[in-house]
This record gives sequence, C-alpha cells and structure tokens, in this order.
Amino acid sequence: MKCVFIVFNQANTSRVEYLLDALKISGFTMFEEVQGRGTNGGEPRRGTHTWPELNSAVMTMVEDDRVDELLDTVKKLDLRNKEVGVRAFVWNVEKSV
Amino acid sequence: MSIYKSAIKKPVTTALIFVAVAIVGLFSMSKLPIDQFPEMDPPFITVMTTYAGASASEIETNVTKLIENSLNAVDGLKELTSISKDNISVVNLEMEWGTDLDEAVNDARGYIDMLKEALPDGCSNPSLFKLNTSSMPIIQYAITAKESYPGLDKILNDELITQLNRVDGIGSASLSGAPERYVYVDIDQAKIDAFGLPLEMVGNAIANNNLNLSSGTVKLDTEQYQLQVRSEYVESSEIGNIVVTTTQTGQQVFVRDIATIRDTIKDLTLDEKVNGEEAVKLVISKKSGANTVQVCKDIRKELAKIEKVLPSDIKIDLIYDSSEEIENSILSLIESIFYALLFVVLVVLIFLGNWRATFIIGITIPISLIVAFIYLLFVDSSLNIISLCSLTVAIGMVVDDAIVVLENISKHIDRGSSPREAAIYATNEVWTSVIATTLVIAAVFIPLTMLSGMAGILFKELGWIVTIVVSTSTVVAITLTPMLCSKLLKAKKVKVDERGKLVEVKEKRGWYQRIVVGTLDKIDGWYANILRWCLRHKLTTVSIAILFFGLTLIPVMTGKIGTDFMQQTDNGRLSVSIELQSGTRVEESAKLARRVEARFMELVPEIERISSSTGSNDQGGVASLFSSTTNNKISMTVVCSKKNERERGITEIAEVLRKELAVYPEIIDYQCSTGGGMGGGSTVDVEIYGYDFDQTNLYANELKNLISQKVEGARDIAVSRDEDRSELKITVDKEKAAYLGLNSATVSTYVRNRVNGLTVGYLKEDGDEYDIVVRLQEENRNSITTLQDISIPTGMGNVKLSEIATIEEYWAPPTIERKSRQRYMRLSVTPYNVPLGQIAANVQSVIDQTGTPNGITVRISGSYEDQQETFADMIILLLLVVLLVYVVMASQFESLAKPAIIMLSLPFAISGVIIALWITGVSLDMIGALGFIMLVGIVTKNGIVLVDYINLMRDRGYELYEAIALSGASRLRPVLMTALTTLLGMLPMALSTGEGSEMWHPLGIVVIGGLLVSTMVTLIIVPVVYALMSRHGERDKEEKLRKEYIFMQISTKEEN
Repeated sequence: MKCVFIVFNQANTSRVEYLLDALKISGFTMFEEVQGRGTNGGEPRRGTHTWPELNSAVMTMVEDDRVDELLDTVKKLDLRNKEVGVRAFVWNVEKSV
Repeated sequence: MSIYKSAIKKPVTTALIFVAVAIVGLFSMSKLPIDQFPEMDPPFITVMTTYAGASASEIETNVTKLIENSLNAVDGLKELTSISKDNISVVNLEMEWGTDLDEAVNDARGYIDMLKEALPDGCSNPSLFKLNTSSMPIIQYAITAKESYPGLDKILNDELITQLNRVDGIGSASLSGAPERYVYVDIDQAKIDAFGLPLEMVGNAIANNNLNLSSGTVKLDTEQYQLQVRSEYVESSEIGNIVVTTTQTGQQVFVRDIATIRDTIKDLTLDEKVNGEEAVKLVISKKSGANTVQVCKDIRKELAKIEKVLPSDIKIDLIYDSSEEIENSILSLIESIFYALLFVVLVVLIFLGNWRATFIIGITIPISLIVAFIYLLFVDSSLNIISLCSLTVAIGMVVDDAIVVLENISKHIDRGSSPREAAIYATNEVWTSVIATTLVIAAVFIPLTMLSGMAGILFKELGWIVTIVVSTSTVVAITLTPMLCSKLLKAKKVKVDERGKLVEVKEKRGWYQRIVVGTLDKIDGWYANILRWCLRHKLTTVSIAILFFGLTLIPVMTGKIGTDFMQQTDNGRLSVSIELQSGTRVEESAKLARRVEARFMELVPEIERISSSTGSNDQGGVASLFSSTTNNKISMTVVCSKKNERERGITEIAEVLRKELAVYPEIIDYQCSTGGGMGGGSTVDVEIYGYDFDQTNLYANELKNLISQKVEGARDIAVSRDEDRSELKITVDKEKAAYLGLNSATVSTYVRNRVNGLTVGYLKEDGDEYDIVVRLQEENRNSITTLQDISIPTGMGNVKLSEIATIEEYWAPPTIERKSRQRYMRLSVTPYNVPLGQIAANVQSVIDQTGTPNGITVRISGSYEDQQETFADMIILLLLVVLLVYVVMASQFESLAKPAIIMLSLPFAISGVIIALWITGVSLDMIGALGFIMLVGIVTKNGIVLVDYINLMRDRGYELYEAIALSGASRLRPVLMTALTTLLGMLPMALSTGEGSEMWHPLGIVVIGGLLVSTMVTLIIVPVVYALMSRHGERDKEEKLRKEYIFMQISTKEEN
C-alpha cells in the first residue's frame, strides 16, 4: 500500500476529483486551501496580496500496482497547463487499522 | 464564531438574554392600552358657511360652488361632497386614508382665505372642522326618574355633570332630553285684544319689574350704604301680580287677567325615552388621545359613587358602553390565542412524543409573541383587534423553524452524537434554509405594510407584527433551541454487553410508541406507496389534478361564492329610523314610538333596552345641524342581549323588526340597520347625478320600487334626499303694511314673538336662571285660522295678520346634495343574507333594464365601491407577493424552475379556499382576501421543505424516483406538522363566537381551507411535476461538463 499525496492549484479541484473517479479510486482525504511554494520554479501559492492563489491537497492510499497509473494521469493533468500545476509524491504506508 | 455555536457555548448568557427580552416584553404589555383598532384619524374635513336669508339653491350657486371649486385642489382629496340648505352650506372633504390631516386643513384654509373676497356680502366666514374620533360618544347612559323628573335637569347638572367632569380623560359630558324648567306666560289673544294691548307691552312690563339695580350710595352719619332696587322675582307666581297697564277708567290690568302663568318644564320638541319611560340621555365623549377602556372604567366607578348621593328614584342605566365591546372582543381574541397555543403544543407533543422536545418548541411561542408587545409599545400602538389577530396568525408559524432545527438535532442524537455536538452540527446544516423560509414569510407580510387606504391602516400592523414575530422565532430557533437541545435532550443510552459488543439500551415501548408512532409509520409507508404509483402514472395524476382544479372553479363561475367588503358584525345593537308623514306633530310621533316599542318588546324578547328619540332640540346649536331627527322622525337604538346568549342573529332580529314596521300605515319609510364597526354597515349605494330635482326624484323612486321588487335580499332602501318639507309661508302685502307703518321685518318679529315666544328675562333660583317666555297660548296659534287672527300692533292700533298678509301651505325645496361638484342623490341598499357583490350586480342589472333618462348619470358606490377598490389593491398585492416569494425561493435553490414547481401548490390553495367558502357559505371579503395572500407564504413553505430534500437526495446519488419517494416519506412528518400547527392555530379564529369575531372568520376559513387542500395536493403534485421536469436535470449537466475534460488523452511520453 502506498500513500500518494497530490497537491494542486485550487483551479484543478474538479479535474482531480474526476481523475480519481476515472481511475476508480474512491477513498481519499482532501485538505482545502493549503499554502505552498515550489523548488523548481512556478509561482508561490500563499493566499497573500502578492501571491493570491492557493492550493488544495489530496492524500489517497492505493495498492502498489496502481501508483504508476495514478502518477501518469497526474502528469497528464499537469501537462494540460503548466501554470495551473499539480504535483504528486508517493511514500510507503507502514500500518493501518 | 457562528451565532449558534456561541449560543451553545454560553448557555447562561443565551438564556438570560431571552429572559431579559421576555421581561421587557411583559413590561411593555402592561403599559399597552387596550383599544378596538389601531389609532387612525378618519380623514374628513368639513367646511361650514352660513349665509342668512339665502335659499338652498342660492346657497348652492353663491357659496357652495365657489368653495367646492377652490377646495378641489387640496392635496390628497379623495371625494368632495356638499349639502346646501336654507342659510347653510356644508362642504365635506374626504381625504385619502393616511393623509396628514393638519396639513390638509392648513391647505384648505389657505384656499378658503383666497376665496373670501368672492363670497357674497353678509355671508359668514367659512369655518373648518376636522372630524375627530374623540368627538364620538364613548359611553351613554339613560337616566330615568319618577318623582324627581321635573327637577332632573338641575340635579344632574349640579351633582352629576360637575363630578363626572373631574374624571381624567373626559372630553365632555352632556345631557340630552333633560327636562328644562321654563316659566311660560300664555297670553289669551282675545283678552289682550279687548284691552288693546300688544303682547310686547306685557313682556316689557314683566321684564321691567324683574330688576336688581344699584341706585348709588347713601351716607348716614358715620356709615355708608349701597342703595339698591331689588325687585327680582323670587317665585314665578309673582309674575301674575304685575300690572301691565292702567285703563282709561283707572282699572289696573294685571298679567293674571290676560294670561296664565305656567312654571313648568319646557314644551316638547325632543322626546327621549328609554324602554318607554321618561329618560335623559347622558352622553360622554373622551379627550383625544385618552384611552377609551380606562376612561369608561373610571366613569363607571365615579358614577357608582354619585348614584348613592342622588335621590333614590333616579336610575342610571347603561345604553351603550364602547369599552364593553372592546374588552369583549379583546378577551375573545386572547382566548383564541390560548386555544391556538394549546393546539400547537398538542400537535408538537403528538408528533414528537417527547416532553422535553415539546417544551423546547413550546418556549419559542411566548418568546416570539412577547417581542410583538415591545414593537407595539415602541410605535405607540395598543392591544387591539388587529394586533391580537396578528398574534393568532403568527402562532402556527413561529414553531416551524424550531421544529426543523430540533428535528435535525434529534436525528444526529439518534445516530449517537452527544447532544452538544449534535446541536452544533445539526444547526449548521439547516440554519440557512431556516432563514430562507423566514424570508419567504417576510416577502409575504412586508408588502402588507405598504398598502394604502383603509386596508393599509388595518394591515400595516399585521404585516409588521407577523414579520417581527416570525423573525424572532428564527433567531430563537438558531440560538435558544440548539442551546436548550444541548442541555435538555438526552443522548441514546448505550452499553457494552457481556460479549464485548456495543448495544443500544431499548426504551420501553409505551402506548405512544405502539399507537402514535405506529400510525405515523403506517401513514409514511402508505404515502410513499401512493407517491410511487403517481410517479409511474405521471400524466394521469397531473390530469386528475387539473380536472380537480377546474371542478373547484365551478362554484365561482356559477356565482356560488359571494363577495363582501367586510362581514357584518353582530354587536347586539340595531339602529331603527322611522319616518312619518312630514308635518306630523312631535307628540304624535312620540305616541307611535311608544306603540312600536311595545310591539318590538313582544316580538323580540332578546331586546334589553330601546332608547328612542323623536323630534329635535331646537337649541341644539351646531350639533343639531348634523342630526336628522325632526318632528316626523323617530330614531331608536335597540340593544339586544349578548351574542352568545341568544339564538337569533342580529340580522334576523332586524328582519323581524322590519316586517313589523311594514305593517303600520302611518310609517312612510323605515330603516333598520345593524351596527357599525369598521366602515359602518355595508351598503350598495346608487348615486344618481342630475341637475333637475323632479327628474332625479322620479327616477330615484322608480329605481327604489324596482329594486325592492326585483332584487332579492335588498332591504332598507333609502333615498338620501329628504322629501319636500311642508311649511307655512306668510306673504306680507308690502303696500298695506307700509300704510300701517310696518314692513316685512317688523311683521316677522311680531309673529315670532307671538308664536315662538319672547324671552323677557329670567327667574333666578339658587344661582340658576330659568327663561320667562311670553307668548300666545296654544289655542291661539295651532291652526292657520288662528294664526291669521294674530294681532299685529301698529301706530294706529292692532290689526289682524290676515289684513296685511296671507298664510299658505307650501313645500320647501329639499337640501341640495352635491358630489364631485355635481348635484346628486343617493339610493342606498342594505343586503340581507345576500353578499354585497351579488346585490350590486342585481342592482346594476335593474339599472340597465330601466335605462337612464337624458341628463342623469348613475354610478354604483358605497361599500361596494370600497370593496372593488380594495380587491384591486389586493390583486396587485398578491402579484407582488408571488413575485417576491419567487425571487426568494429562486435565490435559495439557485434555480428558476424549482420555485415554479413549488408555486404549483397555489392553484390548489385557490381550490381549497373556494371549497371552504362554498361549504361554510361565507363570502369572500377584504379579510378573506388577506388570508389568501397569507396562504402564498404558508403553502410555499411546505413545498420548499419537500423540494429541498429531493434536491439533497439526488445530489447524494439516488435515482430520481427513488430520491423523490424517499424524500416524500422522510419529509411527510415535518410538512404535516408545520401545516397542522398553522391550521390549528387558525382554528379558534374560524370557530370563535365571541363579539366581533365575525370579522375574522373569513381569514380562518380561507387559510384552513386553502392550506388543507393545497398540502394534500402539494404532497403528490409537486413531486410528480418535479419528476416530469427533472428528467434531464442537473446530474446530466455535470456529466456533460466532465466529458469536456480531455487532459486524460494527453500523452506523457517525453518527446526528444
């Protein structure tokens, strides 16, 4: 089991929900209105006067074999418009109840 | 932090805020005066001008027309009417209700000042009056006496009136019909002729011997005295001993030789009787601004004290006490409020089956209602019929919001939340929709405050009170209700069983669970089944509904539903006016009055008192100008027992009296009108405009006959123009008169002295003065022949009146009535057991059949006109309200179609109203129309609850029909509950038999009928139409949107 953390510009919210539906991933936890800054370029999303945009984030636990498919789809979404970006990070799930 | 969270976190503050509100409210209530209606000034201004010696038509052209033309420009003028009669012109201005009268009076005064120059010389300055409600009598007593009757006037004036005037708030207390003491010197014409004495000489002799004159001072030694001639009469008998003259033979002629002296009470011109006994009427009016109920209470208390001091044969009976009526109707309304409260709480208890929940809901009622008192005190209003009715209307609605909140909280608690958490989150879920439904109510009631005219005055308070009360209930529902829920509701008891499993502790299944919950569950299931069937047969369902709606329109099409302006109220009082042949002596009229009274008493045992007056008080001054009793007219006030103590209604009794009056041949016309209240009795008036008196009279009589024959239920058809009055005219031969050194003026003075009498001074006794009147004895002035025989003194001895003048009978021209600056007369028709609208239609058809002659125009007015105007206002209001409600709902659902679905319940509300009116036989009036407008809000509220839930279910992904059936089953109880609370809240109003309750019956009936039918239909037709319209609804739209996302097709392969 892997945890995929997807963080995206708010403008992508409905597309992210759509891609999860499309991949039949039903479980997720969503954080609305999170702030963030990228390491490799891109505008910061701080919700301030200078950087007014905000991100949201989704954490979803998927079986190992579905991770690539998910990341690939996220990549597709990112390619749609680089400025309205989306990032995904994967780590291991040690235990769960 | 949101308001409900704060409320739950600070329970003490929340509770105490509402306690404080309740205390302020109760304090306001104790300060509120009790009154019949909200304060309103009837917008009438009267301009009175006298022009001595001018005939009616001269007055009309020279005074009335000029005044009318200039006053026509006054701002806010609604109608201009005038009366021109001999010597007097009266112009009445009816302003729009709600006009600032002071402003209007100033305006009118300005115009009259400009006009003054143009008025004829000798014409008095026009004087302006404002009709004031405070000038109306608030309480009337009949005072009867046996032995003390002759001295009653003095006793009452000295002891009663002076003491009464001390009561705070009394404007005036006056006696009418009191026997006044007069000293009459009745001269025998033949005897003074024998001595060759003129009557004036007798008068002078009496006057000259009735003196107290100072004749200087006298100094006697060390002292000084005033010298006075004191020859004033101490007793009336002294008058007989006055020497009038000494004849040439040296014989002294005493007054007693030529006249009889009567120290008696004044000759009869006004005959006041109560139950046929000699009576004096005590009429008391209040100061403007004083509170009727309080003043009447003080008067009663004071009178009880005075009565003990008065001689024992003097009896004081109450004829009319306006405070009694007010108190009774207020009491019956308070009763309705308590019944409504009881019913509402019972409904809540049955549906929730939980004392704590019922308490939480129930507490919102008093808190919300009490706030209305604060508002009333704030705007200087009173506890009146309107404000209390508004409270009754509001009772059923104030619990709705609290029910929605509580229901949701209980649901969360059932799921296992702690009451506190449940209160916060459940309130959060519903609070916006609670506010939205309140907005709908506000959208209905706020426009009511904007109405103009009389309806505006009536409904302004209603609009504000309901809006304020319902808004308060919303505030309570989102603060106090969740707070109380968090404290009072109990979480479900759970425990862990021996196997380590969590189990619910089952409550005992009491009778409530078995019977009530079982029944309700059954109804839920049954309803869901019907709904499923209807959803499968949508077209059939819709067709049946349309057919049903069409069928209910039939009673309207066939004229089964009547219209009225206002229901006639039964206050147990009738005014009867009887007209005899003109010229009938007042004594004769009085005799007939006694006979009629006796018959009335026999026929109608319900009668408690009849007070009648015949004739007019010739010294009445300005007041008598407005009263219409003359010697040939009898006016009676018949007081019956209280409404609920008798079986016959007041209109039935009136009909009995009418039948009796029709029997007497000497009665040429009679009216029997049931009592007043707002806007007086309801009549249909036919206004006949035309310049020619004869032509209009003829036409009016023709119409009168036709209407009485052809129009069913037409009673008391009265013509406003009086019959020509018979008068005796003295035409002086000016040539002969001049020859004798006389002229018309001197002749008229002489005749007046002899017939009417010459007041020659006063008999003083105990500080009171009584007139001494010298005139011819009655036998010398009671026929044309004896009048011709009156001696007129000249320089050459006496001549007979017949020598210099002729006396003939002639008909005095009537008073000239004008309206809108045209001569007109009015034919008023009172309906009996027939709605006003129908009478008006029938009268119109009679008019159409007869056709109107050239030069005459006819118009139907009266209450019917008011009704038409008000209904037109109401229709505009209805459209406005529907539009506003649509706007509120559309913004709540963010949809244009959903509100339209909900509004489908409205036609069925119409059906319900029609059925209810048809069954009860009540006609639709202004108050009923108001009920219908209120229905718009009440009915749509049900639809909102339902549609909102269907939307929710569909968003949760349920299939359309399943979503509808599920929501139906789940929302049935709240819908039934809110509908039932409103319905039962209105029930006491519809059923009440208290005084003045007739007025509000239609409101209750309309709301109950409309709500009942529309709720039943709404539960079926709204879901079905929802299904029809949402086939390709919002969910499909979302799918479409998603299909536009094409990013999935983008390739992620690096291109290099």
